[in-house]
Amino acid sequence: MTGTISSAEPDRVATRRFEVEALPWLDDVYRFALSMTRDESDADDVVQETFLRAYRSWHTFEPGSECRKWLFTICRNVFLRLRERERRRVDYGGEDAQLEALASAQESTGTTAEHADILSRLDLGPALERAIGELPEVFRSAVVLVDVEGLAYNEAASVLGVPVGTIRSRLFRGRRLLQESLVTYARDAGLATPAPCEV
Amino acid sequence: MYLTVTQTVAMDCYDVVRQLWDYLDGELTDESMAAIREHLAQCKQCYPQFDFERTFLEALAATRLEHPAPNMVRRKVLAKLRKAGLEV
Repeated sequence: MTGTISSAEPDRVATRRFEVEALPWLDDVYRFALSMTRDESDADDVVQETFLRAYRSWHTFEPGSECRKWLFTICRNVFLRLRERERRRVDYGGEDAQLEALASAQESTGTTAEHADILSRLDLGPALERAIGELPEVFRSAVVLVDVEGLAYNEAASVLGVPVGTIRSRLFRGRRLLQESLVTYARDAGLATPAPCEV
Repeated sequence: MYLTVTQTVAMDCYDVVRQLWDYLDGELTDESMAAIREHLAQCKQCYPQFDFERTFLEALAATRLEHPAPNMVRRKVLAKLRKAGLEV
């Protein structure tokens, strides 16, 4: 007995299942951790703690369910506790209200042609990486889970512990902010015409 | 532009553009997905917007390939799990 996986399932079988079902998601968990921490050293800590907790609570994982989503949920909780421990507490309610108001104000309208032109000129990979890193955390988590990791809205909502409508709202505003960032990036790089000054 | 796309569902350009991301994410009902698909096939005004948003989302999805976990992180995770009893 190892004493770490407690269930009726023999330890060896449970261990083998953990190896086969959980460990292959290490890259995904690392990407998600890095998207939240934006710091490789912190992401390293979060990933280690995530897998340790996952291993210790493997008996609670429901066979046949989405293991990656389960790991993301643990990862998110580890990140929040790490941040709390470092006394960098964020008031999510207030932050949401402020950030969503900001995003609403920045939503673009009627600029598709300009944006499409810019997208065709940019090396999108590095530009997007940079823009994702600069998104406020509430939007970044939604964008990363749905757009990068491919989760459905309801799965992302489950990971982040918010209603599906909140995911939709954060996702759409996060995407608009990214598009605005790309336009600004392109203008700074001389790839697009500067926006006219309003007099 | 207003197109009748099926006998039971009709969508104008405003409705289509408003739901483009839900459509691209596959988060609409089958009926709405079909209505938007048919509208896009016929509407020259909406298609460029659809094409732009699709390109944008494809580029976002492609960033997934940029960050595999470093080998050092992998080694640390495995070392921690071994210490906790996992035999790998």
